[in-house]
Amino acid sequence: MTTTDIPAATARRTPPPAAGKGAGRRREGAAWVFLSPWVLGASVLTLLPMAVSLYLSFTDYDMFNPPRWVGLRNYTQMFTEDPRYWRSVGTTLLYVVLAVPLQLAVALAVALALKSVRRAKGFYRSAFYAPSLLGASMSIALVWRAIFNDGGTVDNLLGTGGWVTQPGWALLAVALLTVWQFGAPMVIFLAGLQQIPAELYEAAAVDGASRARQFVSITLPMLSPVLFFNLVLQTIQAFQVFTPAFAVSAGKGGPADSTLFYTLYLYDRGFVASHMGYASAMAWVLLIAIGAVTAVLFRTSRAWVFYAGEETR
Amino acid sequence: MPADRTTRPWALLVTLALTALLTACGGPDDSGGGGRVTLRYTWWGNPDRAARTERAVALFEKRHPGVEVQTSFAGYDAYKQKLATQAAGGDAPDVMQLDYRMIDQYATGGVLLDLREQSAVLRTDDIDPGLLATGEVDGALAGLVQARGTETFVYDAAQWKATGVAPPRAGWTWQEWADTMRELTRKSGKPGATDPGQSEDCFEVWLRGLGKSLYREGGGLGFTVDDLTRWWTFTDGLRREGVVSTARQTTQLDGTVENTALGRGTAIGDFNWDAPASGYLGIVGDGLTLAPMPSGEDGRPGQYFKPSMFVGAAANTAHPREAAQLIDFLINDPEAAGVLGASRGIPVNESIRADLVPKLEGFDRTVADYQDSVDGSLEAPPQAPPSGDSALQTTFSRDYDQVSFERMSPREAAENYVTEAKAELR
Amino acid sequence: MTTNVPTAAPGSQAAPRRPLPWRRVALHTGLLAALLVMLYPLGWLLATSLKPADEVIASLNLLPSRLEWGNFTTALDGVNDVSIPRLLTNSLLIAGGAVLGNVLSCSLAAYAFARLRFRMRGPLFAFMIATIMLPHHAVLIPQYVIFNQLGMVNTYWPLILPKFLATEAFFVFLIVQFMRGLPRELEEAARIDGCGPFRSFALVILPLIRPALITTAIFTFIWTWNDFFTQLIYLFSPEKFTLTLALRSFVDASSQSAFGPMFAMSVIALLPIVLFFLAFQRFLVEGMASSGVKG
Repeated sequence: MTTTDIPAATARRTPPPAAGKGAGRRREGAAWVFLSPWVLGASVLTLLPMAVSLYLSFTDYDMFNPPRWVGLRNYTQMFTEDPRYWRSVGTTLLYVVLAVPLQLAVALAVALALKSVRRAKGFYRSAFYAPSLLGASMSIALVWRAIFNDGGTVDNLLGTGGWVTQPGWALLAVALLTVWQFGAPMVIFLAGLQQIPAELYEAAAVDGASRARQFVSITLPMLSPVLFFNLVLQTIQAFQVFTPAFAVSAGKGGPADSTLFYTLYLYDRGFVASHMGYASAMAWVLLIAIGAVTAVLFRTSRAWVFYAGEETR
Repeated sequence: MPADRTTRPWALLVTLALTALLTACGGPDDSGGGGRVTLRYTWWGNPDRAARTERAVALFEKRHPGVEVQTSFAGYDAYKQKLATQAAGGDAPDVMQLDYRMIDQYATGGVLLDLREQSAVLRTDDIDPGLLATGEVDGALAGLVQARGTETFVYDAAQWKATGVAPPRAGWTWQEWADTMRELTRKSGKPGATDPGQSEDCFEVWLRGLGKSLYREGGGLGFTVDDLTRWWTFTDGLRREGVVSTARQTTQLDGTVENTALGRGTAIGDFNWDAPASGYLGIVGDGLTLAPMPSGEDGRPGQYFKPSMFVGAAANTAHPREAAQLIDFLINDPEAAGVLGASRGIPVNESIRADLVPKLEGFDRTVADYQDSVDGSLEAPPQAPPSGDSALQTTFSRDYDQVSFERMSPREAAENYVTEAKAELR
Repeated sequence: MTTNVPTAAPGSQAAPRRPLPWRRVALHTGLLAALLVMLYPLGWLLATSLKPADEVIASLNLLPSRLEWGNFTTALDGVNDVSIPRLLTNSLLIAGGAVLGNVLSCSLAAYAFARLRFRMRGPLFAFMIATIMLPHHAVLIPQYVIFNQLGMVNTYWPLILPKFLATEAFFVFLIVQFMRGLPRELEEAARIDGCGPFRSFALVILPLIRPALITTAIFTFIWTWNDFFTQLIYLFSPEKFTLTLALRSFVDASSQSAFGPMFAMSVIALLPIVLFFLAFQRFLVEGMASSGVKG
């Protein structure tokens, strides 16, 4: 197949000139072929359920009886009559601010260290990933509760008292569980580091650039797409933190609601209290909030994310 | 839409994918050919209950050659959410095990079959009418009770004896209970029990001792802010004295015996239901003893026999008759009873119970004896809790957390709870 | 802001430097110390799986006072109706299908988003990212209804089909990010050589994003293997159960003391994915570095 095509760089921002219309259309057709599985999945398995949940957010729905339209009542109730809702918002924000930077910093530091290791690379990689193989199961939650309990390892070492037993500390214990399972961002950082052509470092070394200089001039910009990916995804996931909190507090969000995160409360409203309409409304407010934060991240990314495949501005 | 030419490749792929999808799934193997009927039967429980149930089901299949029963089980929490999702999706199993708190919701939601429609094959004559009625919702028999249980003050007799304090007596009052806990704490240096303030169940027993109830007949709360304030002031006082578990221990309760104060070895006793108290055996050992719950100051008992498990059939089952036959078999058949034993609690069918109880051993025996000791002195159970109750149960312990961590006064928390409860029961 | 173009900074030294020995020693010491902290909870998990019932929760000592192997036999009793090889096969079938589906469909979609022009690209990309933002609890029931309507409940389709339809935006976005990092000149060159989008995808792009594809494969395998919840909701017949489902759903905290066996189950369930990870993690190192592409 031969196609005469306009240079990609100009194509990005300007519509294809009239002369290239046939080719452009063929390429557009190709794009839809690549997209077709996604289009089918996104419309039937994602968009449809999302639309249903949006509809449910305007209803009173207990999962057993048909939903009853209540207009904006779920939303007004959430914003004006539910103090526990606002507490969960505050708790979640605190968690996001705490867990995301910490986890990314640890994952990046370990990935960089592993990159410069020559011996026992596989061992280190596997050992650091090991906690992430577990997920957040009931048993790991019990281990966490034992280690961070009154008289547990952490209490003995630091003398702080148990973390999971005190409202002021419990959130930190949950955040540490997330940070501890930093395997996924670490592996993604490693893969990103692999993709940086060795020639760049060789050339820099030949020019006598220091390691710090190489890190700032080569590693960071070349890694920025992956760093950006990890930042966006970890932020989204942190807003939705559920399993670690559910596990550590046995679904209650205690002590004294100090780990009652947004989605934990959402789950509680939906599946424990059977207010699926209210839970759906909570879900959509969260979607909009995360969407706004993500949009801001994408906006700032223009300033600091460098794509080798696209020209810089 | 883009021009025809451009859509063709993707339209073709979609067609292909859809065809593949439709041929691939071709429908699950339904009741199949040859007139065989397939029933789905689900329950929650442990491997022992599963093994016994499987054997009983195999007997049933032998007895009814035209029926095949597919069974499935899971732990309680997993089961509860799976069943809710299935029911909401219109896909409830033909026969399912249900909890007391589920009955009202599932029945009013139209998920459950009225078992009276199948009275020709499902006999209920051998079940105590009062107990049978606990499965009724709006005049329909939504679930058939499978077992009953009652609350207990469970304690480690070995530790208790070492303190020299007199053991609990039948008919002890809440005041006597509190004094006993004080004495235990003084002698042993550790709390006498888990703080009952977090437990809606304990509160209900205390309320009933006063002649009140958690819910009014026909909905609404059966108590006032003042009642709850009194209860929480009482328990919070004991906590401050160090007579019951600390806030930091209480907040770790998660429904398992291991995470109670008694299970962790930080208290001598605990409140629990009778059958699940078997979980303490492996931890506490043979000293495990069941005492009745404290009663009101005038000796009025607050505890009651509560149906602990139901079995129901799906309203939209294709085989209501066979489903009812299976339920009948599990409840009323002597051979099935021989296999099932007390794996779902002491059976409710009275002739089967009379047969089985003398043969019980171990903790089953303890539970049966305990139930005998309080039987006859207890008042009739209240009607099934309203749908909002499952939400309120967690709200209750959450609000008490605020009290025990000293972030709210008992009255503030009680006002909070009553407001939330009223909204929930609206 | 302008972004740094990754060219070397000027300097005076010419020879590439080897790390000094003390530096390597410090690195290894640091890593091992970090590992010790990291693996402590895992040691706790292992130790607890051998604790007798009265120590599982109550004891705050790491080591059991005596070894209780009964936890493991009890754990395995729970699944005695279905043979372990059968459960393993089921798990492998689902995880394998999911890996194939995700790698295939997500890289296809990612190529379109990263490299091709089409109408609505921006909004569609935003929509794709948005699909990860809705908590999955909110769409659980509608999804169940759809699969039930399609007659797919109690089959493996609800677990595998979504992966073939690129519903996991996480991986699409991941691969997009990797593709955008590739120099465009590669495809330009391919195009000049007469490659259309399909051939440049298959012959140029795919080999270059191997690290991303392997990452996708490994994560999909592990996450699908551990995805107790979806398996629980959609599978009914015990003979269709996976290892994870069989082990984890048989713990019933409401009926008896089962924490010891539960810890044993976690250890058993962990073994296959540990082996999988050990076997495949080495592929993570290979990739661009060995394929020698010039920037």
